[in-house]
This record gives sequence, structure tokens and C-alpha cells, in this order.
Amino acid sequence: MSLSVLICDDSNLARKQVLRSLPETLAANAQIATNGVEALKILRSNNIDVLFLDLTMPEIDGVGVLQGIQKMGVTPIVFVISADIQPEMQSKVLELGAKAFIRKPVKSEVLLQHLKENGLV
Amino acid sequence: MTHFDLTEDQQDCLQEIINVAMGQASDQLARYLDTFVYLKVPSIEQVSSKHISDALNVEDQAAAVVSQGFFGYEGIRGEALLVYQPKDSDRLADLLGYDPDELTLEEQIIDLSSILTTTFLNVFASQINNQMSYSAPRFLPSSKSAFSEHIEQQSFNWDLALKVKISYQVTDYSFNCDMILLIPESAIINIAQVIDRILEEY
Repeated sequence: MSLSVLICDDSNLARKQVLRSLPETLAANAQIATNGVEALKILRSNNIDVLFLDLTMPEIDGVGVLQGIQKMGVTPIVFVISADIQPEMQSKVLELGAKAFIRKPVKSEVLLQHLKENGLV
Repeated sequence: MTHFDLTEDQQDCLQEIINVAMGQASDQLARYLDTFVYLKVPSIEQVSSKHISDALNVEDQAAAVVSQGFFGYEGIRGEALLVYQPKDSDRLADLLGYDPDELTLEEQIIDLSSILTTTFLNVFASQINNQMSYSAPRFLPSSKSAFSEHIEQQSFNWDLALKVKISYQVTDYSFNCDMILLIPESAIINIAQVIDRILEEY
């Protein structure tokens, strides 16, 4: 089974950090979005299984993407990876359907742990 | 005029380091005020000495400005400014929950600024393998001349600086404050070298 992966972050460095932390099989199938608008467009026209989502972004932010996902009725597994670590923000994104909140900068062992918990590796 | 133009990759990396530091500073602010802080993408731009005092006057009716110098290894240094709006300063006393006689408003604002500045800069420093020390925070009159004077008193050269502006919006109280970091050219050249090392890893 090969999963389709989308990494959405306005920072090139942050996208690389996620990409490098992914197991090779997942990284090989990863698509990139540099903001929320792009992410929603890709989610609409592709079958995305796993989304790694930043929160603080221009245009549409991560919360906006989560709300968009709910409206669209698509069901990717979403991991939020953010520097905005306020407890209120963490519970907000979990309420909006994210599977986990991962703090930036992402560590590969943490990411792997979340992937395992969700049966993705 | 010399240049410290950052490449796109360097700027992106610096922005990401700032995001992480901003996130932790706002988390501290949120805990201190028991509220939620809304974050926007910070702005980073190069300013020349002629325009440096304009940094403060972006919102030209700033009520209060707290300035704090920071110093790390390898010549990394600069000035952190916390800028408060006049309409917000009245709310601060309520927000901070002090008794009216306990602390002056100035002291309260300095407390708040220190939390934001030291949290931000400690996290920033740790990401570039540095460590910061700080001068005592100073309450500045909000006039442009007072700010220019303060900047001129610094021992380093401000011909060019990097200006980073971060807005913290405390949603419950519609209270805002801007953190403006001014980092002189010599320090930016040093930061850029550290950034290159980080980028090489990716």
C-alpha cells in the first residue's frame, strides 16, 4: 500500500525538515503546498491520505485548512506541525479533526512515533 | 554602503527560527495573562540608519516603548523594542491583575516586555547555538527624538540593520503589542554564517 502525502508549510526549511523525518516510502510520495490555498486545491483534486500541516501561514492558515477539509468532506489523516504551542491552539486543532499536534522544530523520532500510533508505518 | 542581503534560503531559515521563538514567547504571554495570543507571520526587512527611528513610528501614536539590549557570543547583538498602543495601556492594569498601588503601569509594562523579550531571545539563541545576556529594560518616551537618542547611544554601528516585526494580538482583550528587533549589520553577517551551517544540514 502506498500512501499519498501532502506537506503544507510556507517555509522551505520546515518542509525539508518534515520530508527528511519521514520514512523513505512516505517521503517518496510526498507532495508540497506552500500555503493553505495551495493545500486546499491539492486536497480537492487528489486523494491525500496524510497531511502534515503548519498553522501560521499567509493567506489561509492551518486552522482555515482544517475548516476547509471539514467542509469538503475529505478525510486525510492530519498532523499539525506548528510553532504556536499554546494549549488552546493545540486543543482547537484536535477539535477540528487533527490526529496530533507536533511542536516545531520537528524531530524525526517524534514524527515516527505519531505515524506508528496511527498505523501508518 | 555595504550589504548583508540574505539569500532566499537564508531569509526562509531565519523566518522559521523566528517563528519557533515567537511561538514560545506567545505561549508564555498566554500563560501569564491566562488568555490566547493570535499570531501572524512576522515581517523581516532591511532598514538603513536614516529610517531606523521610523521603526517606532509605524504606528505613530505609540504610548509606551520598552527597549532592551541583547548580547550573545560571536558578536550577535541588537535591541528589542516592545511597542504598546495608547488605547491599550489603560487596559494593561486590569489585564495584569495587579492592585492599583502595587506596581506602577511602567513597571507592569516592563514585566510584560521582559517575559516576551527573554523568552523569544532565549529560544532564538538556542536554535543558533548561542546564549543571550540582556541589559536592563528601559522605558522610553515614545517620541521619535528620544528613540533616536537611545539608538545613537549604542556602541555599535547602525548604518544598516535587520528589522523584525512581530505582532502579538491578545484576542480576549483586543490588546496588541509589537515586538521589533533591530539587529545591526555586523551581527546579521554572523547570524547568516550560522544559518548557512543549519542549511547545509538540509
